Amino acid sequence: MPRNWHTPLSLILSALVLPLCASAANSFENTAIVRTVELGGALVHVTTTYAVKALEDGSSVYTLALGEQEHAHTSWLEAKLKGQAEVLPLEDFGYHPDSGVFLYTVELPKALNTNGTANLVVETVQTHATFPWPQEAAQKDPQSLKYNAELFVISPYKTLVQRTKIRAPTTTVHSYTEPEDVAFTTDAVVTKAGATITYGPFHDIPASASQDFVDTKQKQVTVHYTYDHPVIEVKKLERAVEISHWGANLNVDNTMVFYNAGPRLKGHFSRLEYQTQNYFGRGAAHMLPGINLILPAGIHSAYYYDLVGNVSTSHLRTAPSVPKGPNSNAYSLLELRPRYPVMGGWNYSFTLGWDSPLQDYAGYDKSTGKHIVGVPLMTVIPTAVVDEAEITLILPEGATDIEYFTPYPALSERISNHITYLDTIGRPKITLKYKELTDKHTGNIYVTYKVPFRAHLQKPLAVAMAFLGVFAIALTWRRVDTRIRRK
Amino acid sequence: MALLTLDYTQALHKATPPFAPFIPVALLPYIAFVLLGATFALAFYFSTLPKDKIPVRELAVASTASLLGGFGVVAMFCNAGVYL
Repeated sequence: MPRNWHTPLSLILSALVLPLCASAANSFENTAIVRTVELGGALVHVTTTYAVKALEDGSSVYTLALGEQEHAHTSWLEAKLKGQAEVLPLEDFGYHPDSGVFLYTVELPKALNTNGTANLVVETVQTHATFPWPQEAAQKDPQSLKYNAELFVISPYKTLVQRTKIRAPTTTVHSYTEPEDVAFTTDAVVTKAGATITYGPFHDIPASASQDFVDTKQKQVTVHYTYDHPVIEVKKLERAVEISHWGANLNVDNTMVFYNAGPRLKGHFSRLEYQTQNYFGRGAAHMLPGINLILPAGIHSAYYYDLVGNVSTSHLRTAPSVPKGPNSNAYSLLELRPRYPVMGGWNYSFTLGWDSPLQDYAGYDKSTGKHIVGVPLMTVIPTAVVDEAEITLILPEGATDIEYFTPYPALSERISNHITYLDTIGRPKITLKYKELTDKHTGNIYVTYKVPFRAHLQKPLAVAMAFLGVFAIALTWRRVDTRIRRK
Repeated sequence: MALLTLDYTQALHKATPPFAPFIPVALLPYIAFVLLGATFALAFYFSTLPKDKIPVRELAVASTASLLGGFGVVAMFCNAGVYL
């Protein structure tokens, strides 16, 4: 699960936390936990606020627990102190078979003394947590999704009060679970106000990060709601970033497979129905006619083609080039329209790429001779989830001393050789594989490398050798007599 | 391969002067034209040279033409959009 990666805590600290949750439960107490779930299509944003109170001096490591079901869907996890922008170091302690939970530790910036309090805000993004219900819909039917969650927020510490708020995108909520036999409460378990469904408050929950709690006390809740936008899933993304020093160019090539994860189309696609909907401006919610992508400023020579050929139903509005650095807000807008509207259950694969000036992404430090390049991890598609991503960075021929920084830990990383036009020994290629990327994965990949001057000359010299070969053949040819001599 | 930290790389990326190629990209089409034209002319001249026992002159002309051709082809590739 890709998330912010920070240097691990010391072994001593991990030895203190790793033993059973019961021993970790002694140093903190949750005075209040509020979990807010923002329901969406492919992505669900969950913000959990923990009001913690330290029970002993010097408490600085807080342990978070995620149940199996929640962990399976979580693909982005970030912890901050309320009101502060600094992201806190997070350490993954993995699955605990005896308690059946996944543990994470957060390092608070300042250790708390006894009865010291802090407000911890943990944001997560869940992918594949919703599914269409009904699973099939005709062309003009509305789209509804169901979301499953666990009722209680589990924690290795005792909780005084907790509540869960589930916010649907519209007020049209078809149904929501009203759980029975819920412990820890005497009032009504669930209330609905507008688009928000509140479960709780639940009082005096003991340390709940254990299999026993999950088996006996935990309840499942399901919310069935309408969703008025297409649910976009990118099944596979292959992104290649190629750096050229001769042409001072950075080429980005994305091959994507779009999948509409909404309700499957029932019946056949009626072009007449589609045109009628377009004419009256009432497109079906689960239809994906096109998507607007935000691309970097300064791009040129963009290409968009699929298996059939060039797709001309798109419009690119470019912004002028901006110098490198994270300061600019300028962007280019691509209004991408596939050949056909992507209905529920349909796929569409295409290749989108562009060239951009290398000076907008790369810097050169003369004193160390190092080049540093920073490229975005991927072109973020709002509200879409990327199931599998393979990101490659192709460096110039002869690059050495390659070091790179990935904003999120990759599933696999390797450096291999890539051969392309006019290469002799090939270029180093960094391949990173990711799973379940969301619109929160907006980090940059940074690579530093050195290219000696003679490596730049390799290409012209290779071509020169080829020319010389032709001249050598010409030299010998002139001196060979191929006439059929008359005796 | 070593992994860097976010703060260090971000600061380094921001602070370093932007990349500048040895040959400005705007000049590449003209350089390609001149070099490839020279290669063609030298190749033609090569074909008119007399056949000596030790082909010193032919080899000199051939080497110059090849070298100019090498750079010219690379410039032409970049000009055509195949950024090497």
